[in-house]
Amino acid sequence: MTTPDDIVAVELARLSADFVARLPEELQAVQDGVSAWLDAPRDPQRFEILSHRVHQLKGSGSTFGCPGISRAARTLEQRLGAYRRGVDAGQPPAAEDVESAVQRLQNEVLRAQSRAPEANE
Amino acid sequence: MGRDTLHRILYVEDDADIRKIVSMSLEMVGDYTVASCGSCAEALQAVDDFDPELLLLDVMMPDVDGPATLRELRKRKSAADAPAVFITAKVQSADMAQYRRLGVFDVIVKPFDAMALPDRIGQIWQQYLSGEYDHAG
Repeated sequence: MTTPDDIVAVELARLSADFVARLPEELQAVQDGVSAWLDAPRDPQRFEILSHRVHQLKGSGSTFGCPGISRAARTLEQRLGAYRRGVDAGQPPAAEDVESAVQRLQNEVLRAQSRAPEANE
Repeated sequence: MGRDTLHRILYVEDDADIRKIVSMSLEMVGDYTVASCGSCAEALQAVDDFDPELLLLDVMMPDVDGPATLRELRKRKSAADAPAVFITAKVQSADMAQYRRLGVFDVIVKPFDAMALPDRIGQIWQQYLSGEYDHAG
């Protein structure tokens, strides 16, 4: 007999597969957002859009079975915050800190995709 | 309906996938009735007819965030006294202090187990009924 728990578990699995399938698109949006913001780090709107996207990845990753995505997004969120505080103080830290966090996120996307079933199976 | 059993949850979350799985879990596993809203505007539209017993809010949302949404909901008689629970990954001490000032009853930390959420909400409701107020922090 199918229980409500079973139905929710099936839907969670479907949403998780969709989440993993969308990760390359999300990663590209984050990369574009980082580039755009580093070009104009005093633009609050660019920062808000970027940080919201990264924050959503952090929250969704573990919920949808990708804790590595959540950890990498958390690191990137922290480094974006540190960079912005540096800009506000007139002493921005090296952009490499942000870029290496983006690279880590990219690695986690590849890792998640390498073990994921096809979303529309 | 007795006050000891929680029925109606107003839930606000901008991420459509998270909203869907949380709503499903609360309704199907927890047997709650959920008004699921994607924004502050949707919540304000739904709140009076729905008459929620508990408010469940994401914190970081574009345009109007969770704290601002809660302030708006509190202006409505239908949501003035309902306990509020935030779902968030923002749990630094400064964040928690802000939630306390807002009168948030409890905080569920992201990431969370969607399947276990109904039990967690049930525990929070029992704490609320027993008068263990101001848990945020």
